[in-house]
Amino acid sequence: MVIDVAGVSAPDWVALAPTFAFVAAAMLTFLVDTVEPRPGTSSNAALAATAVVGSLVAFLVAGYFLVAGVGQPRGTGAVSLFQDQLVVDGMSLFFVVIVGSVTALVSLASFDYLEGQTYQAEYYGLVLLAATGMSLMASANSLATAFVSLELSSLPSYALVAYLKRNRGSVEAGLKYFLVGAVSSSVLAYGISLVYAASGRMKFDAVASTLSTLAADGEFFPGILGIGVVMILLGLAFKTASVPFHFWAPEAYEGAPAPVSAFLSSASKAAGFVLAFRLFLTAFPEVGGLAGGDPAVDWVVAAQVLAVVTMTVGNFAAATQEKVKRMLAYSSVGHAGYVLIGLAALTQGTDHGLVLGASMMHLLVYGFMNTGAFLFVALAEHWGVGRTFQDFNGLSTQAPLACAAMTVFLFSLAGLPVGGGFLSKFYLLLATANAGTWLLAGALIVNSALSLFYYSRVVKAMWFEEADGTVEVESYPTSLYAAVVIAAVATVLLLPAFGLLSPSAFDAATVLF
Amino acid sequence: MAVVTEYYLLLSAAVFCIGLYGILTRESALLFLMSVELMLNAANINFVAFSFYWGNLTGQVFSLFTMALAAAEVAVGIGIILVLYRNFEGIDVTEAATMRW
Repeated sequence: MVIDVAGVSAPDWVALAPTFAFVAAAMLTFLVDTVEPRPGTSSNAALAATAVVGSLVAFLVAGYFLVAGVGQPRGTGAVSLFQDQLVVDGMSLFFVVIVGSVTALVSLASFDYLEGQTYQAEYYGLVLLAATGMSLMASANSLATAFVSLELSSLPSYALVAYLKRNRGSVEAGLKYFLVGAVSSSVLAYGISLVYAASGRMKFDAVASTLSTLAADGEFFPGILGIGVVMILLGLAFKTASVPFHFWAPEAYEGAPAPVSAFLSSASKAAGFVLAFRLFLTAFPEVGGLAGGDPAVDWVVAAQVLAVVTMTVGNFAAATQEKVKRMLAYSSVGHAGYVLIGLAALTQGTDHGLVLGASMMHLLVYGFMNTGAFLFVALAEHWGVGRTFQDFNGLSTQAPLACAAMTVFLFSLAGLPVGGGFLSKFYLLLATANAGTWLLAGALIVNSALSLFYYSRVVKAMWFEEADGTVEVESYPTSLYAAVVIAAVATVLLLPAFGLLSPSAFDAATVLF
Repeated sequence: MAVVTEYYLLLSAAVFCIGLYGILTRESALLFLMSVELMLNAANINFVAFSFYWGNLTGQVFSLFTMALAAAEVAVGIGIILVLYRNFEGIDVTEAATMRW
């Protein structure tokens, strides 16, 4: 098969080039490690550079493909690979852009954060392999590839969380992440087996068409299918850190090295959501009543319940925290609730492309602002600043630039008009209002107002409280600083550039319906 | 067909619930891993049984994937349990509770 990339004909596997960039960079890190295995040598810079360049290539190629029309109706149309097991379309490219940008920022910041650590090649290799899994999740078009790519992103993540293997917190976090992850992946596998039991198919579109044929013939098992769909939803809730599989998130994010927390809470969450979007919208649209008629398995209502509960649990728990990293972890759970609106507000008769596109844009903005916030925490850990709100007192006198960046992240997360978070939340609110799901709209407003309270506690500590003089900022680590500043600039720029990028999200979302 | 397909569903549901019960009650991380293995194999029973019912092979192929992934998961899990043992002098999952909700 040959596709046409901006006037040049190329074999169709070229559409997977961003994923290949991740794999190639991962293999290259191991090669670098073979040549120069001793820690603390020049190989550290080479490893970090490989990881940054590899993920930047993935980010830029995916962005170029989006502009050039690869996988989109105005260009080549969706590119199906390996007998439809994988599909490259606007949505998968959009999420590869998110994963690529987060991976690049995290790899850049890790160079300083990992100073003096052994096993750096393994660290970057695992990050890149997890990113490979995430970009494959964005392309997965059958239950089999979905499960395998989800595991490919999960297994490296478990090892990454427990990376500081002499640190009790990191090991404990890794254990809890692994245990919850293992349970949820078996729940997901069982859910897939039940959907297979009810339909006999694995490919998403074949599941949908077979289910409607079976329903017409009266050989439909709504009970088995219903349990299967709910279990798949729960299995994916682990990846997106949504209720009920959210309780690993605060533990894993607090104990893990801060760049890994940034990676998991932004990229891994986005990958979980893109899989959920594609799976539910191509495999179960008629079952959920999206095409009209009575839903056999009303997963839209299930998503509504999960969205409201996730938002509320995440934000109320965040408001009671004393540690900044833990507060960010719970706020990440809350944001999973906001993004779930993309599935929850798909009521009949509303503009489905708007609903889903708003969620996708929120994940894009979130990728920058949340990664930036966790990387600021990484910077604070590098300086030896403590973990509680009080420990951040008066930090702005010593590091005004980083504190200004953190302020941008936090206010953008809360939805104030200093960054792209304002517009993406506005579109989410618009989507819920259009769909007439007033409960979701109310929960979104109340929770955003509440989140402003706990985000401003950090801002107040940094700018208005007096420092107690225990923390001396001696060094300004270049790469960590650069990553934080780049994330802040991107967050701010996404406010004016939102209108430029949102059409690609809305177009990519509309194609799925 | 010798055995009615519903019985396979009952068997797999039972195995799944035994695994889930094990996870909720056990304290040793290794027994935890075994329980997860039971849950994954419950899914495998479904895949193989319904592969036969529907007359295609995709279910059987998926069960091979599940087994391979279960092995990979155990490999990572054993590694984490090993560092748990070194840091906490034991593999009791309730011991590792320095962080509070």
